[in-house]
Amino acid sequence: MTIRRLVLIVIILGSWEAVRRFNLVGPLLLASPSEIGGALIKSWPDYFVALRFTVAEIAVALAVAWTLGIAAGIVAGMVPFLGATAGPLLFSLFAVPLITWYPLFMVWFGIGMTSKIAYAAVSGFFPIAINTMNGIRGLDRRYVLFGQAIGCSRRQVVFRILLPMAMPSIVSGLRIGTALVVIGVIVAEMLASLGGIGYVISYYRSIYATAHVYLGILFALACAFVANWGLSIIERRFTHWRELQIEER
Amino acid sequence: MTAARPIVIETRGLGKVFSVDRAPIVALEDISFAVREGSFVSLVGPSGCGKSTLLQMLAGLVPSTAGEVLVDGLVVRKPAPDKISVMFQDATLLPWKRVSENIEFPLEIRGVKAAERRERAAAMLSLVGLTEFAARYSHELSGGMRQRVSIARALAPDPRIMLMDEPFGALDEQTRIKMGHELLRIWSKTGKTIFFITHSLTEALFLSDVVLVMSHRPGHIVGVIDAQLPRPRTYDIIGSAEFGAARNRIWKLISQDDDEAGANGMASL
Repeated sequence: MTIRRLVLIVIILGSWEAVRRFNLVGPLLLASPSEIGGALIKSWPDYFVALRFTVAEIAVALAVAWTLGIAAGIVAGMVPFLGATAGPLLFSLFAVPLITWYPLFMVWFGIGMTSKIAYAAVSGFFPIAINTMNGIRGLDRRYVLFGQAIGCSRRQVVFRILLPMAMPSIVSGLRIGTALVVIGVIVAEMLASLGGIGYVISYYRSIYATAHVYLGILFALACAFVANWGLSIIERRFTHWRELQIEER
Repeated sequence: MTAARPIVIETRGLGKVFSVDRAPIVALEDISFAVREGSFVSLVGPSGCGKSTLLQMLAGLVPSTAGEVLVDGLVVRKPAPDKISVMFQDATLLPWKRVSENIEFPLEIRGVKAAERRERAAAMLSLVGLTEFAARYSHELSGGMRQRVSIARALAPDPRIMLMDEPFGALDEQTRIKMGHELLRIWSKTGKTIFFITHSLTEALFLSDVVLVMSHRPGHIVGVIDAQLPRPRTYDIIGSAEFGAARNRIWKLISQDDDEAGANGMASL
């Protein structure tokens, strides 16, 4: 199985390389694997600095989006009136392409890291808040009564019963939210910034250094991949019971 | 038989008015009864007559709008988990916890030490006959087994009173009958006071010392039947003449009240 996969990868890379070597596609449109590798060897320190910049922005934006998203979702899910009014509002805000707001974020937070963090955190916030709210609202009210009957405080009802129960729904919100944070940071960097992977991609595109653009894209992919991998760990830790339940059926 | 025992639960003129779209709806009216220590009391009535609301008021989970609930002579204002356990129609087990962890959960909330919790859970599991299922998750159990776990969890803090809201309502008839026997066995072994809600007249009569009969619109008590059937009870008793007579008395109370309500309804037209 792994051998077959390796062979497949070699074939793909080989034909990709060949397409460029025989100049079937021009150098502006496509860079070959060896050209991309060359770009990495030549300017890896620049990429290292850019990556640090982007990873820091993603980390802070994720922390903000997760914390505020889950907190807002809990409150909107617990208070029926808030859920009824805040729910549709959240949905409609989420429906607007958030990127249209980015120029305002620039005005409010400047061209540095803060505007990227703020923009990415806001775009990740909505799906997390909406999924958390729906997860909690969908629970049987008897679980609240059960918690109260065994003497749980309000806090314990939320953190010991409702939140773990709503975890499958919350995690699917985190999945969407995390992807949007990674996308948000890199897109915002591409639009206007002082550094980061998105900045690098945008810069090299403007000087027609195609190999570097591809390399930047690979780094962006790596960021998304790492974020996703971290999420799978969380997912396995908190929702394994749900998977068992589904397998059973 | 239980007449000499002290009263543990008492309601006085208990009532509940809900407000739906600012219009008051009387759910319960003038509910007064008393439950003696160690007795098995059932509440029967049609769906939607406010049985569950009444039970939640007894548990201190829902405030009343009239009258009061007394447990051990003290007015109930909030849940008293050290005295009262509540069971629901769904077992309300926590799906991410194993059976033994579920039973330990109420003890954990009350700050009981881990070693003592484990010991207590093991004892309760053996009482309900599920020792070999301690490490399973709730979705691996049948409906009847889930309710037995729920009984074990309710008994774990050693309350004096068990309030049970149609606990066997979602089970098939065979399982339901078995669970009834099982509950009587546990009851006679532990000596708890049980307040049991059901809409099955047979189930109520089979289990109870006293059956409270309720009717709807608004929910009120139409009669109290003293079962006066010998214990220990077996399934055969359901076919006996005394059992049939008692069940008829309950049925008459319910249907008479329906007729009156019907007649009143006609008059008001």
